[in-house]
Amino acid sequence: MDFLAEAARRAWGLLIAGDSEVFGIALLTFKVAIVATAISCAVGLPLGYFLATRRFWGRRAALTMVNTALAFPTVVVGLLLYGILSRRGPLGGLGWLYTWQAIVAGDVLLALPIAAALSAAAVQGVDPRIRRTAETLGAGPWRAAWTVAREARFALAAVITAAFGQVVAEIGAAMILGGNIRGSTRTLTTAVALYTSQGDFGMALALGLVLVILALVVNIALQVLQGRGNA
Amino acid sequence: MLELRGVRHRYGKRLVLDLEQFAVPRGAVVAVVGHNGAGKSTLLRLLALLEAPTEGQVLLNGEAVPRRAPASLRRRVTLVEQRPMLFRGTVRQNLLYGLQLRGIAPAAVNGIIGDVVERLGLQPLLDRRRFELSDGEVQRVAVARALALRTDVLLLDEPASSADSAAAGALYRALAAERAARPVTVCVASHQLEDAYRWADDIRALVDGRLSPVTPENLFRVDLPPGDGVKSVRVGGIELVVMTERTGPAVLAVPPTDIFVSREPLASSARNVFKGRVRGMAIERRGAGVHVRAGGGVELVASVTAEAAKDLALAPGANVVFSFKATAVRVF
Repeated sequence: MDFLAEAARRAWGLLIAGDSEVFGIALLTFKVAIVATAISCAVGLPLGYFLATRRFWGRRAALTMVNTALAFPTVVVGLLLYGILSRRGPLGGLGWLYTWQAIVAGDVLLALPIAAALSAAAVQGVDPRIRRTAETLGAGPWRAAWTVAREARFALAAVITAAFGQVVAEIGAAMILGGNIRGSTRTLTTAVALYTSQGDFGMALALGLVLVILALVVNIALQVLQGRGNA
Repeated sequence: MLELRGVRHRYGKRLVLDLEQFAVPRGAVVAVVGHNGAGKSTLLRLLALLEAPTEGQVLLNGEAVPRRAPASLRRRVTLVEQRPMLFRGTVRQNLLYGLQLRGIAPAAVNGIIGDVVERLGLQPLLDRRRFELSDGEVQRVAVARALALRTDVLLLDEPASSADSAAAGALYRALAAERAARPVTVCVASHQLEDAYRWADDIRALVDGRLSPVTPENLFRVDLPPGDGVKSVRVGGIELVVMTERTGPAVLAVPPTDIFVSREPLASSARNVFKGRVRGMAIERRGAGVHVRAGGGVELVASVTAEAAKDLALAPGANVVFSFKATAVRVF
């Protein structure tokens, strides 16, 4: 127990002192998570709406694929993308391997199925009369989609939270694609793993606390946005 | 104005609508009557250009509508569903929705909203949200939201199903005022014949997705003489006995289900007894419709069960007697 208390004291000290390494890692993690969440939701939410509202040949197969992708192991995604981004891979020319952009690419691939599958479920939960009513009042496809999204805002906010949660807590792809390079691609999760393996439990705990605080802040922000106005 | 040609519409493998031709002429009020599940709401969704028929065409002013109707065409037609939905926000925001989509200037918007709000008595509800409204109030707001758009065609699916009699009255008056103010084409779906009689220039019956040849159209436009109580009015070559205090122009309706069919005259209290010959029969899932041409060339339609039709050996050409009470004749 002493060891845990000592670690907690050291973590608190690092946070209070504004340790530059802790905050540098937190900042990079936040940047990667925001960019990856934004990209995956920008693509995934419209894709989910499309899958939920349009009837086309292969729709069921597409939904099955998206749902299957929810369970993709992060290290497998990391490995696949490593092959693609490595110097001999098809996108090796981009020079992204061991950069934060590579971590974003991996995180997007992991969060996209979450955004698409859960938003499809959220839109399917909206009464179909909402879209029909929007259309019969003269809304075009985009405005009708926006009207449906407003009705499903709580569920869609939960989708964004889930995508952010996946991205911020993911370690496998970040480790493989970023390489855990100090000051460059070290994220909170890879750093926690590293410091734990080195026996610096205080530092690992401090970074873990930052990770929890980060998740908390983003959740609170989304809840504030959801709470604007009632039914 | 709006027309369906050769339309067959399926949900999965189930055929829900099968209409060779269905037209709603410009400026007319057409009522579609039928039991729940007859296909009325599906028909209205096709007419509202919200769904494309599995087979066949929808025509607006004689021109075929593309399978995915563009918003510019959809804005000429609007539908109020049987259980309408209001969007989140206040009643005022709901009334604004379609007007803003059409880019109507704010000054004009206020005038339009004020007009429909007054007609439907919605002033006290303007700042309420949807969960603060009763079903009847939601229905009135939905009708107001549709009326505010001043579309060429107005489609109403059981518009007064949740309204009490006062609210239904306000609804009918508002729609009558709209028709008086501008040429608007209306198609109303209802399972209540009285709504149809009250409303429509033309009544069509839908049975299992098909237009029934047995339209409940025992409708007669008459001029009622003065006086209270029992009156006789001439309709074609027959005299109808009716119980009413009304005088002047009126529509008389005899619900087909209120007509007794027999092979010989019955000793009964029925004041209206007409001999005639069966012109046609239509056997449907819920029974048989019997067309009779009574003396004087007046056509009447009665509904009987399939068993009764069999027991009476009803067939085209058979001589029958139609009987109904003076109180069975509805006056509108």
